[in-house]
Amino acid sequence: MTKKRNIFRIFAGFLAFFVAAFQLNLTFAKTEQAKLDKIQQNCSSIKIQLSQIQKNDTKNRVQLGSYFESINTDLMLNLNLRLVKNNITNPELTSLQSDFASERERFKNDYIGYSQELESLLKIDCKADPTNFAKHLNKTRTKRDAVYESIERLNELLDKHAATVKDLKETL
Amino acid sequence: MTFFKNHKKQSPDEQGEAPQNGGRNLCILGIGALIVAIITTSISLKIYHDTGDVYLDRSRPGFISDEEKHQTEENIKETFSEDGEIDAKVLDEYLQKLEQMRKKSDDYIKDFTTNPLSDDQLGIEATDESEDSSEVEDQV
Repeated sequence: MTKKRNIFRIFAGFLAFFVAAFQLNLTFAKTEQAKLDKIQQNCSSIKIQLSQIQKNDTKNRVQLGSYFESINTDLMLNLNLRLVKNNITNPELTSLQSDFASERERFKNDYIGYSQELESLLKIDCKADPTNFAKHLNKTRTKRDAVYESIERLNELLDKHAATVKDLKETL
Repeated sequence: MTFFKNHKKQSPDEQGEAPQNGGRNLCILGIGALIVAIITTSISLKIYHDTGDVYLDRSRPGFISDEEKHQTEENIKETFSEDGEIDAKVLDEYLQKLEQMRKKSDDYIKDFTTNPLSDDQLGIEATDESEDSSEVEDQV
């Protein structure tokens, strides 16, 4: 009798699990459909917003790219050269400058990837093909996140660089 | 043998006529040059676009306004000389310059921290219709 009850409990558990999973899937499908409907309805305003984002991001990248380039060449590189001329060796600062230059290159490439994705997103007709548009929108978000992560890594390197310069200052 | 005879007979040089192909050849040359120019320009533009230079080229017309370009050049002025002594005071000045540059760039970094591509910002956030309807019913 106990064995039968246990089998019934296991069966009921499985059934409850499948019903919950089905319900969750149904809710997710409903939400996705509602999102696709909104994309179709607001297609033109979404396109206008995306064009504005593209314009703003272009301006910001130009400014940031210039700052990072200037920090790399006018400050970090010149400091390392000055240290060498004064016979002070600090491999950590040289390594940080090299890492910063590489990361700056990655930032540039990540931004190109993001721009290409955003441009292809703008070319998709969201009224006729909202599913494809939503798919590309997710890809564009991932690429934009990569750009931001690259900026964060550059900032971390600058933090380390500043800390190393402070340490060097203490030793002088 | 008959063929050669006929061919010989039809030749303009043999008949004492000057060739009239100059204009036609010039046209072919012009069209050929145009086709080559179109092909090479298309390839160049394709490379320019595919390598991503199109997204970074500040000299591209309409890419960034002259005013903004001027502002960027004006803002970025912090430099550190590669010549001179190194002491605590010099390193302090260096750190100040670095900090100033970072502060100036912060505004542009902030714009990347926000997420303008989110569903919420684009106005495509899916709302649960059943929840909305139950809320309306509750109010009634």
